[in-house]
Amino acid sequence: MSGHKGKRGPGRLFLEFLDNDKTSPVAIPLLSILLSILVASVMLLVMGKNPVTAFATFLRGCGLMPKPSYAGGQGMLTDLASFLGILAPMMLASLGVIIAMQTGLFNIGVAGQMLMSGFVATAVVGYSNLGAFLAKPLVVVIGAVVGGALGAFIGFLKYRFNIHEVVTSIMLNYIISYVTGFFINTYYADQVSRMSKVISPQSRLTITGIELGSLKMSFPLGIVLAFASVFAVRFLLDRTTTGFQLKAVGLNRDCAQYAGINVGRNMTLAMLLSGVFAGLAGVTYYLGYFNTIVPKDLASLGYDSIAVSLLGNTNPVGSIFSSILITIFQKGSVYMSSTVGVPKEIASVITGILLLFSACGAYMRYLAHRGRERRAASTPTAGGAEITTGEGNA
Amino acid sequence: MDTIMIDGLSFALPLFIIAIGGIYSERSGVTMLALEGLQGFGAFVGATTVVIYRTYVGASPPWLILLALLFATLGGMLFSVIHALLCVKFRAKQTISGVVVNILAVALTTFFTSLINAAITGNASNKYQLDAAYRFDVPVLLSIPFLGGLFKKLYLFELVIVVVAVLMWYLLYKTRYGLRLRACGENPHSLDAAGGDVNKTRFTAILICGALSGLGGMCFAYSISANFSPSSYMGYGYLAIAGLIFGNWNIPSTLLACLFFGFAKSSGYQLCLSMGLSSNFSDLFLILPYVLTLLLLVFFSKHNRAPRAVGEIFDKSKR
Repeated sequence: MSGHKGKRGPGRLFLEFLDNDKTSPVAIPLLSILLSILVASVMLLVMGKNPVTAFATFLRGCGLMPKPSYAGGQGMLTDLASFLGILAPMMLASLGVIIAMQTGLFNIGVAGQMLMSGFVATAVVGYSNLGAFLAKPLVVVIGAVVGGALGAFIGFLKYRFNIHEVVTSIMLNYIISYVTGFFINTYYADQVSRMSKVISPQSRLTITGIELGSLKMSFPLGIVLAFASVFAVRFLLDRTTTGFQLKAVGLNRDCAQYAGINVGRNMTLAMLLSGVFAGLAGVTYYLGYFNTIVPKDLASLGYDSIAVSLLGNTNPVGSIFSSILITIFQKGSVYMSSTVGVPKEIASVITGILLLFSACGAYMRYLAHRGRERRAASTPTAGGAEITTGEGNA
Repeated sequence: MDTIMIDGLSFALPLFIIAIGGIYSERSGVTMLALEGLQGFGAFVGATTVVIYRTYVGASPPWLILLALLFATLGGMLFSVIHALLCVKFRAKQTISGVVVNILAVALTTFFTSLINAAITGNASNKYQLDAAYRFDVPVLLSIPFLGGLFKKLYLFELVIVVVAVLMWYLLYKTRYGLRLRACGENPHSLDAAGGDVNKTRFTAILICGALSGLGGMCFAYSISANFSPSSYMGYGYLAIAGLIFGNWNIPSTLLACLFFGFAKSSGYQLCLSMGLSSNFSDLFLILPYVLTLLLLVFFSKHNRAPRAVGEIFDKSKR
């Protein structure tokens, strides 16, 4: 009997962990991550690679674990700085997705908004000879304004003409990609690399050439912006009337309307804010991390940010952790593929699987809930525990 | 003029068959953003079949394209099972599930294309080269004045698409299954009350959608570049969604929308060539279908009415 009970203990705890209102927002993503790592490990095993070494090389590529050898002037810290440099746009982009999702909208146009703001900032500031103190803030402002304008346009079309935001943003993605591609190819192309010319160091959102012992460091300013934005968004959504209205529209449009909230205005505002963060992601991506734009290439980071925000439960703070996780896979994959020899596309495969499991989050919770109900029904003594919530309603 | 018609038609028809897939899914009440991923995965399976056949049998007979189309259809159907499971069984949000399928499709196909290429040819490129597809003229019709261009240099797959499209139109509007499917998207509970199985209907609708998208994707792979690579994801799946919204979720009017896209695209390109502009400028003309879509949606989407239950997860206990 006691052995029976001992076997049941952890199982019940696990179900409770999944189904409890407090722990479930953490537990479900954790379970998704575990499952995805499991699936990825099986894939690696099938390909004849050791999953432990493969995952370790992901970390090594991001400066989170030491590599066996480094080139001159490089070290774990330089890798880490570079990791933070690409983490910043990921966090900002996912904030954009989160604000839209909280309002019940889906901004799939992050990649296009990033490209447009990055391009405008590059064209206006990147090739000028403004000083650093003027150029850097100007880049940020341009990013926010351009992204915001695009987002507001999408929201406006939805509100005024009933055009689905997904269709608008996808059309805009292609328009932006072709138009910026045209301008880069015609006016700004570097004849050798076929990309846009490298921007001036003054306009970069990265401080370069810091000497730290034997290392040549650079520090991405975007990461400061990203963390500040996370807390700004958290404040906006949780502590202000505007945030409350946005979320009310997201939960039930009709109900919000009935309560006297201007639905159309709030949808436009949500898309505007979403665009602002996408634009900021764009400038930190193109003017912080890469310094150049590949024509007609929409950043896959824009789509990955959707995975990030889902995995982070569309919560600004949650998105910090999920950004870190997905960026480790995406950034570490280059080093991983060069040392372990698995094509670097595995990073996107892992991201996809992660997204697959997180999309099933509501179902996992429902299963856990049903599991607990069954246990409660079969053993009345153990089942005295209160069952708090209904099924996941996603 | 003829070139505009030939290119326009060979672009419009694959787009149309993908859009029909989308119509099936959306009329059954499941939002379908996954068309892009489904068409890509279908094309991947079809192209893999061609490459494997060519390597192990050694020949590439003209009917290989039919085999490719068949396997692309099956591949698209197979991949749509993910969307079907997520939306119907696992009650995931349908927009999100669509994005999942798209991201997974791009990642998996790129990943496996390099793996399979490495295994077969020893060269880890992420591109399958296909043979140029066979084209033919329709004997008498091509001499019709003005419209003759529609019957010149046809691809074999255009014929297949026309046949399949007619069948699909019949299935949706003239059979019991089609009626149930449409009811499922308008008022699933009434279907349930009438003894139909909502989940089963939606599941099959998504599978049909996957099959048609896979077929369309393979046609695109043949007509646009005669290869399969990550650049096969040109966003035409999304354009198909715009097409079906523009066509008000009806098959005949969607055909008109797709033809419009096709001719807008090909005439834009010809316009650019005839004006003697450099190839850089062709990018500016390529945005034509997208800009026109947006403009037209501004005028038409007020009159549009999506299937009433689209995007809603069916909950039997809710009335």
